[in-house]
Amino acid sequence: MSADLAKVLPMNARSKPKIVAKGIQKSFGNVLAMEDVTLSIQEREFVAIIGPSGCGKSTFLYLIAGFEKPSGGELTINGNAITGPGPDRGVVFQEFVLFPWLTVLRNITLGLDIQGVKREEAEARALKWIRLTGLSGFENAYPSTLSGGMKQRVAIARALTYDPEVLLLDEPFGALDVQTKNYMIRDLQDLWQEANRTIVMITHSVSEAVHMADRVVVLSSRPSRVIADVRIDVPHPRDRRNPTMHRYEDEITAILSAEVDKAMSLERQIR
Amino acid sequence: MTASRTAGVPRQKGGPSASPSQIVAFVTFMLPIGALLLFWEGVVRFGLADATILPAPSMIVVRAWELLNPAKAERSLLLVHIGVSLWRALAAFVLACLVAIPLGFVLGLSTGTYRALSPLLSLLLPLPAVAWTPIFLVAFGQGDLTIIGVCFLGAFFPVLYSTIQGVRGIGVHAIWVVQSMGAGPLDLFRRVLLPGALPALISGLKLGMAHSWRTLVAAEMLAALSYGLGYMIFAARSYMDVSTMFVGIVCLAVIGLLIEHVIFGTLEKMTVARWHSSGKVRGTR
Repeated sequence: MSADLAKVLPMNARSKPKIVAKGIQKSFGNVLAMEDVTLSIQEREFVAIIGPSGCGKSTFLYLIAGFEKPSGGELTINGNAITGPGPDRGVVFQEFVLFPWLTVLRNITLGLDIQGVKREEAEARALKWIRLTGLSGFENAYPSTLSGGMKQRVAIARALTYDPEVLLLDEPFGALDVQTKNYMIRDLQDLWQEANRTIVMITHSVSEAVHMADRVVVLSSRPSRVIADVRIDVPHPRDRRNPTMHRYEDEITAILSAEVDKAMSLERQIR
Repeated sequence: MTASRTAGVPRQKGGPSASPSQIVAFVTFMLPIGALLLFWEGVVRFGLADATILPAPSMIVVRAWELLNPAKAERSLLLVHIGVSLWRALAAFVLACLVAIPLGFVLGLSTGTYRALSPLLSLLLPLPAVAWTPIFLVAFGQGDLTIIGVCFLGAFFPVLYSTIQGVRGIGVHAIWVVQSMGAGPLDLFRRVLLPGALPALISGLKLGMAHSWRTLVAAEMLAALSYGLGYMIFAARSYMDVSTMFVGIVCLAVIGLLIEHVIFGTLEKMTVARWHSSGKVRGTR
């Protein structure tokens, strides 16, 4: 019900800011990775963050997750400063990071197990996400026996099962081959609608970003800033052949290419 | 024919009774050993080797039977030697694990401490523990303390090193995943660090016990007063009793093999091997 409403209502009318980044800086040693990232992510918004490789996209996600701390600026969730990782933010990594000693089901219920939820209840709550990620029948398999696409489904179901307010996706399809990736993007379209929560996805693929997200934020090359913020006004489920989407893709690709060209020529000058 | 056909079918669960494929594996394992024994027996029987230096396998079996003294098992000399040796090796191994595993986790998790201590480790890891025996002899004299101390050092470094490698191999993302689920230090240890380090830890335990067992023989030769397989072998030289020496050597080999395959093999089958094989039939469907 609320998912349907969210689709109909315009973005600004539906919610309050969930994650707010103000002038975020991040340096590693004496390398400045992020100069000034300022960004506000609304409640239940799906934001894709894209940028040239090495621009610190993943670092930004790790800052939101609380795995790393910003060197400067202000980063809040629900108005509270982020001080460390917590169960209000679920993370899916590019390399799946499943636990080989746990079955698919136990991997997925891990978050609830840690929170001390009873086994039967944990399994009941996991069931919905097992079904939606298309993992039914694989509950008792060990991860080593699954393909890459299946492993990432487990990681996604695992992050959703303990019911975080925010889902953080770090290049979730980056380790998959093109066919699997395209299939997963189509197959999981309903999942994000059903999940109905704030999602931040890091990606290097424009089509992936345009296809999945409500908003695409483009970061500059290092040290990174936000150089574009594009709202994708196409209702879900989206069709790859929709010409509006191609226009968005072209627009974002142009911004990104200009940035990559700039970074490359700068690199050549230094050499 | 039947054996090879059933061997190709993946078994769902390993029952207690030996399957045809296990029998085949056992026979393939025993065949070269049997062939060597036959050849050896022949060489001695036909006078190609001096029986006072290389006794025939049959003579070793006879001597083992005498030492075993099965009629009065409670006074069996061989069993006492084996028992004392096993106790020393196991005590040293258990003590080594008690110190090395927790220390390994600390060093595996703390990069700074690891960097500080890693040169020392690289120096001590390849050093044969037996080299310490004379020093221990000076400090503690002959007896169990010296033997167990030396075996402890033999077992300690492989267990420590493998634990460190196991913990360091876990990767920060795995830790992050459970931290973002709200896991505290205890959950982190129980659910990720311990199982994550287990494959390396098990090979470390295997290696540690093997080192303890190997070190034991030399330590017993130098430091044992009355019992132990190493003592038995060394003492037999005074009487030129080569058969007894061979009995000792065979016991060392067989017990070493049993420890590695029965104890650690079972441990591996229960953990690491299970994660990577079972469920396969279902998962690839």
